[in-house]
Amino acid sequence: MTMRLRMWVLALGGLGVAVLYVLACLDLPSFGGHRHPYGDRAVRAALARHTANTISSVNFDQRALDTLGEESILFGSVLGTVVLLRQTRDEDRQQPEPARVAPSVRRYALFALPVTLLIGLYIVAHGQLSPGGGFQGGVVVATSLHLLYIAVDYRALERIRPLGLYEVADAAGEAAYVLVGAAALPAGWAFLGNFLPYGTFNTLASGGTVPLLNAAIGVEVAAGVVVLLARFLDQAVEIVSTDEEAEGRA
Amino acid sequence: MTGELPVLLGLLLVAAAGTGAVLVRDPVRQSFVLSLLGLSLAALFLLLQAPDVALSQLAVGSALTPLMVLLSVRKVRRKARSERREERE
Amino acid sequence: MNGWTAAGTALLLCGFAPAACGVATGRASRRVPAQNVATTLLSLVFLLLAQGFARPAYVDTALVLSVLGPAGTLLFVRLLADQLADHPPGERRLRALTVGNYVAVAAVVLPLSAAAGPGRAMVKLLIIGVLLALGSWVATRAVHAAAAMGHGRGAPAEGMSGDR
Repeated sequence: MTMRLRMWVLALGGLGVAVLYVLACLDLPSFGGHRHPYGDRAVRAALARHTANTISSVNFDQRALDTLGEESILFGSVLGTVVLLRQTRDEDRQQPEPARVAPSVRRYALFALPVTLLIGLYIVAHGQLSPGGGFQGGVVVATSLHLLYIAVDYRALERIRPLGLYEVADAAGEAAYVLVGAAALPAGWAFLGNFLPYGTFNTLASGGTVPLLNAAIGVEVAAGVVVLLARFLDQAVEIVSTDEEAEGRA
Repeated sequence: MTGELPVLLGLLLVAAAGTGAVLVRDPVRQSFVLSLLGLSLAALFLLLQAPDVALSQLAVGSALTPLMVLLSVRKVRRKARSERREERE
Repeated sequence: MNGWTAAGTALLLCGFAPAACGVATGRASRRVPAQNVATTLLSLVFLLLAQGFARPAYVDTALVLSVLGPAGTLLFVRLLADQLADHPPGERRLRALTVGNYVAVAAVVLPLSAAAGPGRAMVKLLIIGVLLALGSWVATRAVHAAAAMGHGRGAPAEGMSGDR
């Protein structure tokens, strides 16, 4: 295909999308509004199952299967990154140079690390009560550990990051989600059914399986992001191809 | 109408940041604009009263995305530099 | 739209938007401090909106941003240290930005705490205020330190020297 023809095809496709988009927009209900049929039903179902945060109820109870799909996408992409960014035969590891960081910045990082970690865990633990949940909290937890690379030193991060354990935790989080879902089957429920007692409304233990699934996601995301960033960091800081290394020594 | 002004402002910010992220070609500068886009999106989501999504966006956009972009840039540039030197020899 | 929401929108327009322009243009020495100002102001916007919507749970977004925002700034400082060293930011401008941050944090957090009254909500607001102030303090220190010692490091593997 020539460039010109390609452009024509592109223009035709773009025009078609534009026409359909405008037609669809004309049929939309107006912005805002007071009638939310889906929202009303979701809120009613969430309250019936004693889950204060409707979003968590939708994510981990009413549409828990969708979340399993999303979680598996993250799991799969982390796996793909691990394979792509592995150390190949013509690459060597080099000890990274220690970074020089201002003492005040280092002190802040050592103070902010536990604070950020705590905030992340709080976001995970309160997923069924207030905005947040396993995904959001898990990313915050993973970011908190990387304050050690950002403001202290890569070797300090490596010391608290036994990568094998995080890889196991990543898989365990993914497996735990499926296992909790399957545990509903012997109890006579459908896969991922909310088979546990719902508990007292607006307490940490409320919502039946929601806190369990939420925690599983939290573990999976936190460990997954740590593994993902570890590959990026290894490639950027430690791993060098052999010719690069030879040139570095010269 | 005045009730929808904040949402309109949020939409404008997102549109501006999104256009900027596409137009900027240098990855290092793009990482700044990308983090800006993340912040604007989080503001828009909160204005639409969707705090869960705003939190997801903040968690991913404020530190994780720039870190991954900048680490990739460092790796690629280091490699390109060593290859350049090799050619000269 | 009540007063708190209006204040939040005004801060978004007159505080965050100009800071965002600073992040999107110029050298790293301008973008990095502006990034810190932008995250600080956006946290304050979130606090005002939470109060305006009468949803205390929305405060969590500001809490998360108050720790992740400075983390983002430190990250840019760490990975762009050489650019900061090549063109160090003006000492006085940096200090003015930090003082501006402190003033904005105090001007938003204190009235909100007064409106919340003594209790858990007030403690949470004050913690966020302290985290934001600490964050902008450390961001300034980090930029300053990177500008001062970036060049003498002699560690090409860890910098981005010579690749602009």
